[in-house]
Amino acid sequence: MSKFIGIKSLLIVMAVSALNTVYATELTDANAIVSKANLVAYYAGNDGRSEARMLITDAQGREQKRQFTILRRDREEGGEQDFLVVFSRPSDVRNTVFLVAKKPGGDDDRWLYLPGLDLVKRISAGDKRTSFVGSHYFYEDVSGRSITEDSHQLLETSDKYYVIENKPLDPNSAEFSRYIAWINKASFLPEKIEYQDENDKVYRRVEVLASEVIQGHETVTKSQVSDLRSGGITTLAFRFQHYDLGMDQAVFSERSLRKPPREWLQRDE
Amino acid sequence: MGLRAWLVALAMEKPKQVFFGVIALVVLAGLQIPSIKVDTDPENMLPHDQVDRVFHDEVKKRFSLYDSIIVGVVNTQNPQGVYNPQTLQDLHKLSSAVQSMKGVIRQDLMSLDTVDNISQSSNQPGAIRFEWMMKSAPTTQAQADQIKASVENLPLLQNTLVSGDGKAAGIYIPIESKSESYRLSKEIQTVIDQLNVESPAADNEFYMAGLPVAEDTFGVEMFIQMAISAPLAGLMIFILMWVFFRSMLLITAPMLVAMAAVIITMGLLIGQGYTVHIMSSMIPIFLMPIAVVDSVHILSEFSDRYKPGDKPNAALKAVVGHLFTPMFYTSITSAVGFASLAFTPIPPVQIFGLHVAFGILLAFVLTVTLVPAYIVSLSPARLAALKDHSLSEQVHEDNTSLLSRLLAMTGRFSIAKSKTLVMMFVAVTLVSIYGLTTIQINDNPVRWFKEDHRLRIADRVMNEHFSGTYDAFLVLERTGLDEQKTEFLAYLRKQVNARENAQAVTDKLDSILRTLEGEDYSTLLQKLTYQLDDAAYEDSAHEAHWMALLDTVEQAQSSSKYFLTPSALGYLNDLQLFLDDSALVGKSNSLVTLLKTVYRELQGGDPAHYKLPDNRNAAAQTILSFQSSHRPDDLWHMVTPDFNATALWLQLKSGDNQEMSRVIKLVDDYVSEHPLPANVEMNWAGLTYINVVWQEQMVTGMLSSLTSAFFMVLVMMFVLFRSIKLGLLAMLPLTVTILFIYGLIGFVGKDYDMPIAVLSALTLGLSVDFAIHFLERCRTTYQESGSWPSTVTEMYKGPARAISRNAVVVAIGFTPLLFAPLVPYITVGFFLAMIMAVSAVVTVVLLPAVINGIKDKDKLFAMSEDDRLKSIQEKNNV
Repeated sequence: MSKFIGIKSLLIVMAVSALNTVYATELTDANAIVSKANLVAYYAGNDGRSEARMLITDAQGREQKRQFTILRRDREEGGEQDFLVVFSRPSDVRNTVFLVAKKPGGDDDRWLYLPGLDLVKRISAGDKRTSFVGSHYFYEDVSGRSITEDSHQLLETSDKYYVIENKPLDPNSAEFSRYIAWINKASFLPEKIEYQDENDKVYRRVEVLASEVIQGHETVTKSQVSDLRSGGITTLAFRFQHYDLGMDQAVFSERSLRKPPREWLQRDE
Repeated sequence: MGLRAWLVALAMEKPKQVFFGVIALVVLAGLQIPSIKVDTDPENMLPHDQVDRVFHDEVKKRFSLYDSIIVGVVNTQNPQGVYNPQTLQDLHKLSSAVQSMKGVIRQDLMSLDTVDNISQSSNQPGAIRFEWMMKSAPTTQAQADQIKASVENLPLLQNTLVSGDGKAAGIYIPIESKSESYRLSKEIQTVIDQLNVESPAADNEFYMAGLPVAEDTFGVEMFIQMAISAPLAGLMIFILMWVFFRSMLLITAPMLVAMAAVIITMGLLIGQGYTVHIMSSMIPIFLMPIAVVDSVHILSEFSDRYKPGDKPNAALKAVVGHLFTPMFYTSITSAVGFASLAFTPIPPVQIFGLHVAFGILLAFVLTVTLVPAYIVSLSPARLAALKDHSLSEQVHEDNTSLLSRLLAMTGRFSIAKSKTLVMMFVAVTLVSIYGLTTIQINDNPVRWFKEDHRLRIADRVMNEHFSGTYDAFLVLERTGLDEQKTEFLAYLRKQVNARENAQAVTDKLDSILRTLEGEDYSTLLQKLTYQLDDAAYEDSAHEAHWMALLDTVEQAQSSSKYFLTPSALGYLNDLQLFLDDSALVGKSNSLVTLLKTVYRELQGGDPAHYKLPDNRNAAAQTILSFQSSHRPDDLWHMVTPDFNATALWLQLKSGDNQEMSRVIKLVDDYVSEHPLPANVEMNWAGLTYINVVWQEQMVTGMLSSLTSAFFMVLVMMFVLFRSIKLGLLAMLPLTVTILFIYGLIGFVGKDYDMPIAVLSALTLGLSVDFAIHFLERCRTTYQESGSWPSTVTEMYKGPARAISRNAVVVAIGFTPLLFAPLVPYITVGFFLAMIMAVSAVVTVVLLPAVINGIKDKDKLFAMSEDDRLKSIQEKNNV
C-alpha cells in the first residue's frame, strides 16, 4: 500500500508542477484566485493527517497548550470534506474528539465526544465563527470558510501576492465587515488575512509563519492568529503531515468518536 | 520674641516690600493653579502600596476585570418589559454604538447582542447549540420571546443582563480607565437622546450606574462646586463684615489676607503635583473664615486705640504686640488640629490636613504683616475715616443690644446656677457618649450625590430591578505551589534514575530543567510537556524513557489544576449556594455557575442536570466545550488559566460600606464553620470592598489623629497658661463639643462617613480658640480686679461678645456649603456651623460655671499677694 501511495504522490507532484507552469501568467479573476487558494489551503491530496500543537497566549503572556491530530478526507475536490480531530494533550482532555462533515454552502454536521462524560453530542451548526477550543482560531479557520459566502474583489497584484478583498454576502453572518487576503502568486497559499470591523479597523490577523512542500503540496507548517483587540495570540504548528494515506469513509463515522481510529492516528515511521 | 518685633517692624517700615513680596507669592502660586488635576477615585484613599489595594489591582489584572459603566434600559410600560422588538432594537443600537467608542474594552462588553446563547437546538434534537444571543435585533414579538426564554435559561445572564422581572436590561461596559467614564457617559447619553428622538413611543428609560461614573461625575461637579462655593463663601464673609463694620476700608484688609492665603496654599498644593481630592477642594472654604478672624481682631483693637492725627505706628505696635500671643496660639492650635490629619493613613486626607495647617499659619503671618502694612499705607484722611467707623461703638458701647443683654443674663445665670449647669453638662455629656456608641460607620460614594441627582435615581432604579450594580470579588487561591514544584522535581528525577541506561536521559533532562528554572509550577509543567514530547521525537533511542517521563509530567499537570477537582469545586459550590441564599447578596457568578450550566446543556438541558461534573476530566472537558463559544475568554474572568485561583463575583444591591461589611462577616462566619480546604487562601477584591478598607483605616486613623491632636493642644495649653488647671479648663469646651456633636450624629442616625470623620480634628483646632480667648481675658481681668463676680460681669461684656461674633463669622462663612449639590460639602458646612455654635455656647456658659466651683481662684489665675495688694490699692484709690 505504501508503494502505491508513493507513486500516487509522485504523480501529484508532476501534476502540480504542470499546473504551476500553466498558471504562471497572472490571474485577474478574483473568484478564480480565491477558488484556487481554497483548494491549496484545504484540499491538498485526497486525504491527509497532521499533528498539531497549539499555543494560546493571552495578553498577559499566560499560555495554554493543546495537542491534537487532524485527519481529513475529501469527498469531492473543493466540495464536501470530513474532519476528525482527536485531542491528546493536555491529558485531561485526551481522546476528546470532534467530527465534522463539512458541506460548503450548507450546514456542517458536527459531533463531539467527551470521554470524561462518556458523551457523544451533536453540535448544532450555528455559525462557524466560534472559537476553536478556546484559541483565537475559529472553527472556520480550521475547516475553511466557504468561498460562496463572500464576494471577492482583486484589489492589487503585487510581485508576490494577489490582494483580495472579501465581503460577506450576508453582513449578519459574520462579525467582520470585510477581510483582505494576501494570496501568494506562486503557491496560492493565503499567507496573510486581515479582518476589519465596521470602522475599517483591522482587529484580527491570520498569518502563515512557515510552510514547506510536502508530497508536492505547499503545506502550512506554522500559522498564527492575532486578536488585536485583546492582544492574545495563538500559534499552530503542524508536524508529521502526510497526504493521500488512503483513508476510507468509515474513519469519519460516528463510531470513530468513541473509538478513534488508532491506525491513522499513530505516526507511521 | 525677636520674630514678633522683626515682623511688625518689617511690616510698618517697609510696607511696599511686604506688598510686593505677597503679590509675588500670590502670582507665583496663581500660576500653578491652571495645572490643577482633580482626583475623585476613592481607591486613592489608600496609598498605592496598601496591601488590599495591591491585591485588588492584581486581581483585576489576573482575571482581566475592568471598571465598568452599567447602562440600564428599563421598560415598565410594555407588558413584555424589555422583551419587545422596539426596546431590543434600541438596546442593540445603543450597544453597537458603545462598542465603537474609544476607551471601551470592546471584547469584554456584555450585552444581549454580544453574549452567547448556549442551548439545545430546536431543529436538531439532542444537539447543543452555541450562538449569539441576539446577533441582530428581533423584529417580531415571537423572536423577542425566544430571547427571553434563552436568557431565563442561563443563570450567568439572568438577573445580570436582564432583570428577573424582565423589565430592565443592562449593558456592562468595561472601560480602559475610570477617568474616561465621565466623557464616555456623555457620549453614551448622546446616543440615548438620539434613540429617544427616533422612537419616542418606545417607553424606554435609560439609566447609567456603576461606581466609575459616580466617581468621575463627582470630580466634574466638584470642580463646578469649587468655582461656586469658594467665591460664595468669600462673598458671605464680605457681607457679614459689612454688616458688622460698614467700612470698605476695614473689610479690604481681611479679604486680602484671606485671598492671599487661599491662593498661595492652593498654588502650593497644585505646584507640588498633588491632585485635588474631595477634601482638598474644600481648602478655600476652610481657610477663608479662619484667615479673616485674626485680622478682624487687629482692626477692631486698632480702631479703638488709634487717635486721629497721630501716626498709626505706635497704636499698631501696641495692638499687634498685645494680640500676637493669643493669635499665635489660636493659629497654632488650629493648625495642629488640621495637621493631626497627617496621622491618618489616607493620603488625600493627609495632604488636606497639612495644607490647611500651612494655610492657617500663613494667614497668621499675613495678618501680622500685611494688615499693619495696609494700615501704615493708608492716608491720614482714610485713617480718620476708619476711626469714624470705629468698632468701639459696635464692640463696647452697645451694651443695650439684644446680644449684650442676652450675654449679661447668661453670665448671671451661669454663676447663680453653676452647680445645676455643671450637672446638666455632665448629663448631656453622658447622653452624648451613649449616642456616640450608636454611631453607624458607613459611606457610599454614590450617596455623595443628592437624592434627586440622576446618578442616585439610576442607582435606585437599577438596583430595584437587578441583583445589584455593586461588585465584590471573593478570590480563592491555591497556595504552596513552590513546595509542590520542588517535590515534583525530586520525584521526576527519581523516576529517571529508576530506569536502566538513564544517564543520557538524565543529562538531557537536567539541561531542559535548567532552562525552565525560573518558571512557576504550572508554566514549568506546561513547557515540560512540550520539551519532553520533542525529546521523545529527537532521541528516539530513549523514546520509552521520554514517554514515561511525559506521562509523569502530564499526571502532575492534570492534578495541578486545583479548581477542576471535585472537592475544590464542591467547596466553591456550597459557598456560593450559601451566599445566594442570603438576602445580603443579590447574585453571584462563578466558575461553578458556568460549569453547571454547560454540563446541563451537554446532558440535554434537563434542569436535573444542573450540577457539577463528577470528575476532574469531565470538568476539563465541560470547560473545553464552553471554550467553543463566541466568548471563550469569559472563562478567565472566573478562573486563572492554571486553575489555581478563582474569583466569585458577587453583585450587591447597595454600595454602602456597612452592607459590604455584613457580607464579609457572613463569609467569615461561613468559613469558620466550613474551613477552607488545606492550602487554600481566601481574599476580597472589588471597589465596594476597597471602600470598606479605607473607611476602616479612616476610623482608626482618625482616632489616633484626634488623640495626638488632643494631647498636643493640651501641652500647648499648659505652656500658654503655665497652669495645669487652666490648661485642662481650656480643653473642656472642645471635649464637650466633640462628644456632643458625635453623640448627636449617633442619635440622628447620620452615617459616620469621610467628611464626618475629618470634622473631629477640625473641631479640636477651632473650638479651642474660644477657650483660649476666654480664659486669657478671664485671667487678666481677674488679675486686675481681684474679684470673681466683677470678672464675670466684665467677661460678659467684651470677650463673650467677641467670641459670639467670631463664632457667627466662621459659622456663616461656611453656610455656602449648605447650598452645594454634593452631599459631603453640605455635611461639612452644617456640622462646622454647628460646632462653632456649640463650642461658643459651651465656652461662654460652662467655663464660668466650672470656674465658679473652683475655690481658690487666686491660685487658679496665678494671682500673687503683690497683685492682690495692688488691685486693692487701686480700688481704694478709686
